[in-house]
Amino acid sequence: MEGKHSIPNRLNLLKKIGELTRSLVEDLCNGRSPTLKIDQFSSYCSEDSGKCCCSYNLPKGKEILTLQRESQSRRFDALLRVLLIVQQLLQENKHGSKRDIYYMHPSVFKEQSVVDRAVNDICILLQCSRHNLNVVSVGNGLVMGWVRFAEAGRNFDCISSPNTAHQIPVHVEDVEDIISVAEYILIVEKESDHYAFDDRAVFQRLANDQFCRKNRCIVITGRGYPDVPTRRFLHLLIEKLRLPVYCLVDCDPYGIDILATFRFGSMQMAYDAKSLRLPGIQWLGAFPSDCEKYQLPQHCLLPLTTEDKQKAEGILHRCYVEREAPSWRNELQLMLDRGVKFEIEALSVHSLTFLSENYLPSKIQMGAFI
Amino acid sequence: MGELSKNSIFFSDQHLCHADILPPSEVRARIEVAILNFLKNLNSSNPEVTDLPLISRKMGNSRVRRGLLTDDSKIFLSHSFSTKSLMNENTANSFIRVWKVMEMCYQILIEEKKVTQRELFYKLLCDSPQYFTSQLQVNRTIQDLVALVRCSRYSLGIMASSRGAVAGRLLLQEPNQEIVDCSTCGSSGYAISGDLNLLENLVMKSDARYIIVVEKHAIFQRLAEDRVFNQIPCILITAKGYPDIGTRLLLHRMSREFPELPILGLVDWNPAGLAILCTFKFGSIAMGLEAYRYACNVKWLGLLKDDIEQLVPEESLIPLKPRDHQIAKSLSSSEILQDKYKEELSFMVQSGQRAEIEALYFHGFDFLAKYIGKKIVQADYI
Repeated sequence: MEGKHSIPNRLNLLKKIGELTRSLVEDLCNGRSPTLKIDQFSSYCSEDSGKCCCSYNLPKGKEILTLQRESQSRRFDALLRVLLIVQQLLQENKHGSKRDIYYMHPSVFKEQSVVDRAVNDICILLQCSRHNLNVVSVGNGLVMGWVRFAEAGRNFDCISSPNTAHQIPVHVEDVEDIISVAEYILIVEKESDHYAFDDRAVFQRLANDQFCRKNRCIVITGRGYPDVPTRRFLHLLIEKLRLPVYCLVDCDPYGIDILATFRFGSMQMAYDAKSLRLPGIQWLGAFPSDCEKYQLPQHCLLPLTTEDKQKAEGILHRCYVEREAPSWRNELQLMLDRGVKFEIEALSVHSLTFLSENYLPSKIQMGAFI
Repeated sequence: MGELSKNSIFFSDQHLCHADILPPSEVRARIEVAILNFLKNLNSSNPEVTDLPLISRKMGNSRVRRGLLTDDSKIFLSHSFSTKSLMNENTANSFIRVWKVMEMCYQILIEEKKVTQRELFYKLLCDSPQYFTSQLQVNRTIQDLVALVRCSRYSLGIMASSRGAVAGRLLLQEPNQEIVDCSTCGSSGYAISGDLNLLENLVMKSDARYIIVVEKHAIFQRLAEDRVFNQIPCILITAKGYPDIGTRLLLHRMSREFPELPILGLVDWNPAGLAILCTFKFGSIAMGLEAYRYACNVKWLGLLKDDIEQLVPEESLIPLKPRDHQIAKSLSSSEILQDKYKEELSFMVQSGQRAEIEALYFHGFDFLAKYIGKKIVQADYI
């Protein structure tokens, strides 16, 4: 029955795996070549008129895997082998990563990407998320501020010490009892390609300045491009707390791509967009237009490289930008026109506490987000 | 004589240089003294611009201090100096850079604030654009300043970033806070703070019998999730890659608080993994003046050559990258590796291959915990 199977818990998934296998065996018994129909999802395309049919929860088409073609039969084989491992994971209620799965049959899989694709295909076929298959990924997120929650019997009380960072739990499905007195959620992200290991630098700055002592909020950071547990955790917080969410990223194409990943989802996880995307998230900064507003010194403005420009153009032409965030286009275009980028740290040049005492509170109060 | 001064724990230790951890007022005092002396020389009857004597951070100046009665070995930097002179065209700019960073740090210390390395880069970039062009340059200059005034980076006001985590049979308590039980922290563990003062003041209690240092985040998460510390009474700690100061400090404190606990390292079988193990074990030359302080006697649990031969199938081996060969070269040319480590390293290089710990999953989901347990029980570590 449709209703019973729509909750992707362990037993339902095991049932679905059983049914899938049965249908393949039936095909074989009746002399038919087995096929698998896999929906295709795409979080965006480059048709920027806004008239495409990209949608976050509807497939764009179907792919049919058969054993007739050699390349497809390899994919078929990999899929079934991974399915067998997933079945074992679910039966024994153990967890494994995609890398672990690869090493179980390295001679068959030959490459990690084969396993990654098989896991995605299985999620689409069984209509579930990756964590439902007990396939886990590493979680790198940190949370601090005015929130309290419990995970698997342990209490995370960020309220008692609002400037201490706690790790975001990996098994978000076990998070419960969320209580908060925050007024908003602030996400700070940087992609680190510098020699400073400083991908948590802005978060550290806020902790050091005791930002949460004076501002009733929850601050979250991942490590650059957000990982799945961090995104799921945010999704849960927003669902339960219904707070406004602001995002602070570097004013460069990678920062904006990170923002877009939070809001619209990533291509790789396009099939699971509806449980990962955060449509309410708003871009707080840093904007190209902040240069004049906050009188950033010229030297902090670094030139856009060729890759930067290509990336910015790419984001500008993504269909979802036109459809859902047209106000972002102006700022992106401004960045391309000027040909410069800057990092969040540029705002602290004149005063180290400028970010936490000035920029953030005033922007939020004035509603200067898009 | 040379041999003696290299491997001694007697008075020649006084030649071994280190960076002090000092409160801001004392660091400021050192900077003020440096400036006053410099001015005095400029103003004297034979005016001259003093050269900056910096402890040389090259392999040639590193020494190994081997413990006589213990297995502790540390890397120290000896008193060989490299001088930066304003008169020398090659070093004039880096001479000026050191003063600029000194000035910036002094101001930050007066404001009683702390700064991240990236923020420092931007401040310097705007203040003196003709001298600073890259983060790497700033980082090196910071190390120069450490080598000059002999104070740790943290004492100079530069925030330490921290990525590490700890899980297992350990109770931690910050002064006047609640006790944190690291065995109930979930699979992500307890996040190690970047505040070195906080880490110094943590109260620790444990009933573990081993400390396991894990190179990779994924493996740490797996072990924490499977609650391996309930089967093998241990504390798990990771820096999620290259060891940062916070993680090393905490590990060092644990080794002092619980001296009977052997510290075992679990790294991938490749030169980079060994390099990470060695950083925990000996310190590093780049941070030579601060490195020794947090060195601990870490033993290499796995992966080892015998494990590879017995447990890892041929298909799971991956070819070494050029970077691995570079790391192998610099490791084998340093004096610090003991013979068994050198053997393992040369076997790695000869085979041209490496293996990840995940390769053990070939034997099933439970295998990693069993592997660790068996090796510990058989004391199969080097």
